[in-house]
Amino acid sequence: MSGRRVVDSGYRIEIDRIACDAYGACAELLPEGIDLDEWGYPILAPGNVPAHLLDLAKRAVDGCPVLALRLVKVARAREADTPPPTVFAARRPETRLDRMEGMPPWPPRPANRPPKRGPDPTRRR
Amino acid sequence: MTARLLSGPSTTAGAETLADHLARLGDLPGRADRAHLIAMLDAAGLLGRGGAGFPVGRKWGSVAGRAKGEAVVLANGAEGEPLSHKDRVLMASRPHLVLDGLELAAEAVGARRAVLYVGSEHAEARAALERALAERAAGRTPGRLPRVPTTLVTPPVSYLAGEESAAVHFVNAGDPRPTTVPPRPYEKGVAGRPTLVQNVETLAHAALIARYGDAWYREAGRAETRGTALVTVSGGMRPGVLEVDLGTTVGELAEWSGVSASVGSPVLLGGYFGTIVAGANAWRLPLDPVAMRCDGAAFGAGVVAFLGDEACGVATTARIMDYMAGSSAAQCGPCVFGLRAIADASARVATGQPHQDDLARLRGWSQSLAGRGACRLPDGTTALLATSLRVYEADWTSHQHHRRCSVRQGARVVQ
Repeated sequence: MSGRRVVDSGYRIEIDRIACDAYGACAELLPEGIDLDEWGYPILAPGNVPAHLLDLAKRAVDGCPVLALRLVKVARAREADTPPPTVFAARRPETRLDRMEGMPPWPPRPANRPPKRGPDPTRRR
Repeated sequence: MTARLLSGPSTTAGAETLADHLARLGDLPGRADRAHLIAMLDAAGLLGRGGAGFPVGRKWGSVAGRAKGEAVVLANGAEGEPLSHKDRVLMASRPHLVLDGLELAAEAVGARRAVLYVGSEHAEARAALERALAERAAGRTPGRLPRVPTTLVTPPVSYLAGEESAAVHFVNAGDPRPTTVPPRPYEKGVAGRPTLVQNVETLAHAALIARYGDAWYREAGRAETRGTALVTVSGGMRPGVLEVDLGTTVGELAEWSGVSASVGSPVLLGGYFGTIVAGANAWRLPLDPVAMRCDGAAFGAGVVAFLGDEACGVATTARIMDYMAGSSAAQCGPCVFGLRAIADASARVATGQPHQDDLARLRGWSQSLAGRGACRLPDGTTALLATSLRVYEADWTSHQHHRRCSVRQGARVVQ
């Protein structure tokens, strides 16, 4: 995609980090804008969603099994203060969803990932 | 070192009574003179003292300018930061200054309810505030401020309980864990009402600005940001809380604290969510939120901790990382897994049993976790880690590659 001008859609993806449970559906549906870290949690490409990816972004937002994503309308990125829209992948690879026509909608949560847990914050030290 | 908040009797003399407080500082001005308090706070350029340094006038203005509904004011004295003591000292010695500020804030933003949010470990501060509330209930309030029903709430000991959404969450539901923002507390906070969450030191400054004006406030201070600030100094011969002009250099505090200038060892500034600055750069650094940000340092909660040369910087960092990982509210994946991974890797490096790629992975995590939690715990933790990796670069490298600690004269790290 080098040399191609990325047009700003005026929308940004926001993630509810508490709700997010690392299903990874967003990165499957929008690999250009969402990468996963080593624990399966999403990393967003900086900046607003590029205009040509807006429909795919909407699909990723609707496709989150725990509805942790949303699209927020923001002012279009101005050159100085907001990073321009960026994309991770040059070409959109075939996603799991494309291969899943006619299958039940969501794969189960990967079994090998431990549940989020930590110290009970209400416990006195 | 201008004394304003801490002028008058020594902070060790116990809580000032209402009569002493009014005799020393004078009464608050009348209602008509208080009408422009928000504009005065703007003109004074007062920044929040809880750590984020948000402009106070703008914060009060956004709650006061709400479309509808009653507001709530929450005085934040949770002070969970392990290196900070200034809030508890202020609450324990000058409770009426804090309450003046709280009631002024309630009046300015039109709040009908106030919450005093005091960490349960600060028993002295809590007792002082309870006594002060009783004194005010018995007599008339300073400046005939309208009475605001005030609830004293004590969150459990936890680093995150003082985070503003966590404070609101605890008051509402007894759960001191941050919530997803937006909505931010100033939009939807205590009991679903717009809530002004303000650090107790900030409120105390507002109480003085209401009395003496913004021009008076700006007389103190040597740098871009005017006024005075409470700082907690540790690591020297003489640790403690003191009030300094903003713009006072770290070197001057070193002198006050009995750290010799020739030592020039690294300094931790801001708090556990702050920055480590190499001694050579730190000594001339002014304690001023704006100037420090330009230099990549953080004023944070006013913590100045001299780390000294005797302690291994890698081990110190590993301890802080472990504390922060243990402080995670365990809600957001990048924080739960990321901070724990950082703590474990830094502990391995510090104790001389690093995995082959630990240092490289620490460098990566220090850049990849910011902005990926509901609150800013991962941001603050990785910011401190990033500065430690820079300042103690030689030590990290020698720990990782040679299992040698430079502090112990190149001795092999004993496991």
